[in-house]
Amino acid sequence: MPNRTADVLIVGAGAFGLSCAWWMSKRRDGSRILVVDEGEFAGGASGRNGAGFRMQWGLELNIRLCQESIRFFETAAEELDYPPGIGLKQDGYLVLAHSEKALKTLEAAVGTQHRFGVPSEILDPAECIKMVPPLGRERLRGGSFCGLDGSASPFLWLDALLRACRRQGVEVIYGVRARSIEPVEAGYRVHLDDGPVGVAKVLICTDWAAPELLAPLGIDVRTEPLPKEILVTAPIPPAVKPILVSLEHKIAVNQVDRGSVIFTVSRARTGTSTHSTSDFLGFAAPKIVDLVPGLAHVPALRAWGGVSSVTPDMQPILGETERDGIFVAVSSYRGFMTSPAVGRIMAAMVLDGDTNDPIASALHPRRFAAGETIIEPLLNQE
Amino acid sequence: MARSIVIIGAGPAGLAAALEAERQGARVTLVDEGQRPGGQIYRQGSPALGGKDVAEAAEIRRKHDLLDAFCRVRARLDYRPNTSAFALFGPREVHVATDERTQVLGADAVILANGVREVAMPFPGWTTPGVMYAGGAQSLIKGQRTLPGRNVVVAGSGPLPIVVAAQILRAGGKVAAFAPLHPVTAGARNLAGLWHGRGIVLEGLRYLATVMKAGVEQLTGFVPIRARGTERLESVVLARLDAAGRVVKGSEREIACDALAINYGFAANSELAAMAGARMRYQQLTGGWLPEVDSFGRSSVEGIFVAGDMAGLRGALVAETEGRLVGAAAATAPEAFVKQSFEQSWRKELTRRRRLCEFQEVVRAMLAQPRALFAVADDDTIICRCENVTVRNLRFAFSAGHLAPNTIKRSTRAAMGWCGGRTCLPMIMALAEIHAKAAPSAMMTPRPLARPVPLSALANPTKGQSDAEQDR
Repeated sequence: MPNRTADVLIVGAGAFGLSCAWWMSKRRDGSRILVVDEGEFAGGASGRNGAGFRMQWGLELNIRLCQESIRFFETAAEELDYPPGIGLKQDGYLVLAHSEKALKTLEAAVGTQHRFGVPSEILDPAECIKMVPPLGRERLRGGSFCGLDGSASPFLWLDALLRACRRQGVEVIYGVRARSIEPVEAGYRVHLDDGPVGVAKVLICTDWAAPELLAPLGIDVRTEPLPKEILVTAPIPPAVKPILVSLEHKIAVNQVDRGSVIFTVSRARTGTSTHSTSDFLGFAAPKIVDLVPGLAHVPALRAWGGVSSVTPDMQPILGETERDGIFVAVSSYRGFMTSPAVGRIMAAMVLDGDTNDPIASALHPRRFAAGETIIEPLLNQE
Repeated sequence: MARSIVIIGAGPAGLAAALEAERQGARVTLVDEGQRPGGQIYRQGSPALGGKDVAEAAEIRRKHDLLDAFCRVRARLDYRPNTSAFALFGPREVHVATDERTQVLGADAVILANGVREVAMPFPGWTTPGVMYAGGAQSLIKGQRTLPGRNVVVAGSGPLPIVVAAQILRAGGKVAAFAPLHPVTAGARNLAGLWHGRGIVLEGLRYLATVMKAGVEQLTGFVPIRARGTERLESVVLARLDAAGRVVKGSEREIACDALAINYGFAANSELAAMAGARMRYQQLTGGWLPEVDSFGRSSVEGIFVAGDMAGLRGALVAETEGRLVGAAAATAPEAFVKQSFEQSWRKELTRRRRLCEFQEVVRAMLAQPRALFAVADDDTIICRCENVTVRNLRFAFSAGHLAPNTIKRSTRAAMGWCGGRTCLPMIMALAEIHAKAAPSAMMTPRPLARPVPLSALANPTKGQSDAEQDR
């Protein structure tokens, strides 16, 4: 295809890429937006995560990113004109502490959350177990709960965005990889599998793979792959109403509408494989049974892997790089839950040059070189 | 030192492989989901149930010969009934489970002999209680000595519906109608093939005679287009279809019944082979996604062998012969395996298998699966029963270009439930072909667990290797 052009090329059609494209298409009729993805629909981390969203964080910027995103999820079916809905469920998040230290961290975070209007509260162990009867009592010290947190279907969310994007004239192509970015006089020539495309601006939404495209241009984006694995059970009657997060077990538990329970289990591992590893089930099952002994009898159906990203301070990277016209949005493993707000912020930044958003200015890509550190108390920083 | 071999599946292929491998001095672990050996075709009921075997005498003889031979060596094998293999990452990592425990088995070679499952055609009402697979009806008769219903309609393609109709009658049941999709003479012009399978043809004719003698109404070319009944099946409407899958006007026949046994083909249980990374190929009529194997069952993954129908539907006789070949090959160290001399010493079996496979061409003519069958389902027909996904939901997904198993799964949840797509995937691929002109695409990514396993069993691993790994 000779002389193919677009105003903005978005690389990556995950939750970030599609949300950014949708917000861009909504902002300015006429901008030609092209989205390419080397994989298939929902094939990356956005289609492989535990499906949860929460505003229970310990840091203003995370609280606000998620508050805005959750408000959007609540009306997404209408906003995106997607009658099936996105499978929204707001039964709350219960973050569990199994030590005094963890409980103190939760108490401090709830204090911060209250300053931003998050209706969270501290529960004692008995209240936790009353809310989630299958929970193990041993070592449990309490938890923090917020009823506005919950989950949605990442698949439906991506499908809704994809259809809305295409309706508004965004071109979304799967199975096409962006190989390299070449600076030219009027912007960039991006070499795709199926030929070059001339664009004014490029937004990289390939998460952990962003450095691959940006390093050859001398752009330093500090992110690494963070592989995770998930186990899902057969459907059972309602047993786990809120989503559970155990700081000690490093497990998130989400019982979805149709009854299956999804366990997202973290462990130190590297690599970019999306396959379930051979020792995963043996690693995960004892921890799961320790956390929720009441679910021990439930059959496990399937396990899969996904690769999200992690940055040095475990916070997203949003902004323009040192190259004019090249932007990047890296999720640091919360892409699904922050994608509505990130889409809005990045669309304003890319199309209007609006960099005044207080969240975006704190998350700019050059913060590491400048020695700025952001600490989110609710993430395990070991 | 003796080779260690793990065999998955105790049907004719797995049993024959176990016997041969053991004869060659290998240490064999035989893993099977069933309570008793025999698999689907040689299924054994509990001795306590009594009752008579409704199979043909020759089949009963083959069954007893094989099971007797197995009984004689059983004590020398590590035989594990009620055990399922739920993940396979290579011959050193065979994950097996009982209801209580899991274990990772490691061996020099793994033989996958876990056969095929049935494929249904979806039509309005096909999920009504009382509608079942023909093989499922057969399991009730063989394994439980129970009739699938008081008055059964049997419909489908291939030889299985004939066998099942006859066995229902022999077990004392009533067959309300028998609707073979193709004339039972479909492959009759293949004389060489018929000759090679003359024994089986004879058995088939005897089954057919049972059906004819009972005066069962034969509706050749008819397929079920609607099942009626709410709590329980009350009647089935059968009709002829035109090439586009539309009902031929005036051909509808409503038949009262309380059970409908159907079979419209088979799909290979090849998930474990794919999970282990074996190269796969697609062949619709012999089981869909099949592992690529050579004449001794060697897959593209070192140490992983395949025997029997899972490498392509060819029936129990081929499975048993092939089981012996593959058992022998797996029992031989790769460095000692010289293909030419192996072919020399196994000439007789190789010839037998080749001839039996020629007979399978006859059978294949009865198995043809026109895509039109899948056009009978209307928009409200459920395709994925686990996740309640209808034809309408699938068409909505097709409209956004989701046409491959992975993306259909993500956009509809079809194949994400209990059965992991074992029931719905063949139908979904046919529907994608009919409604969106989709070509067969990549296989759905196989994920553990190939079978559901309780969390408590996963958390309760048996440490150490299998008996096959220990010196004796």
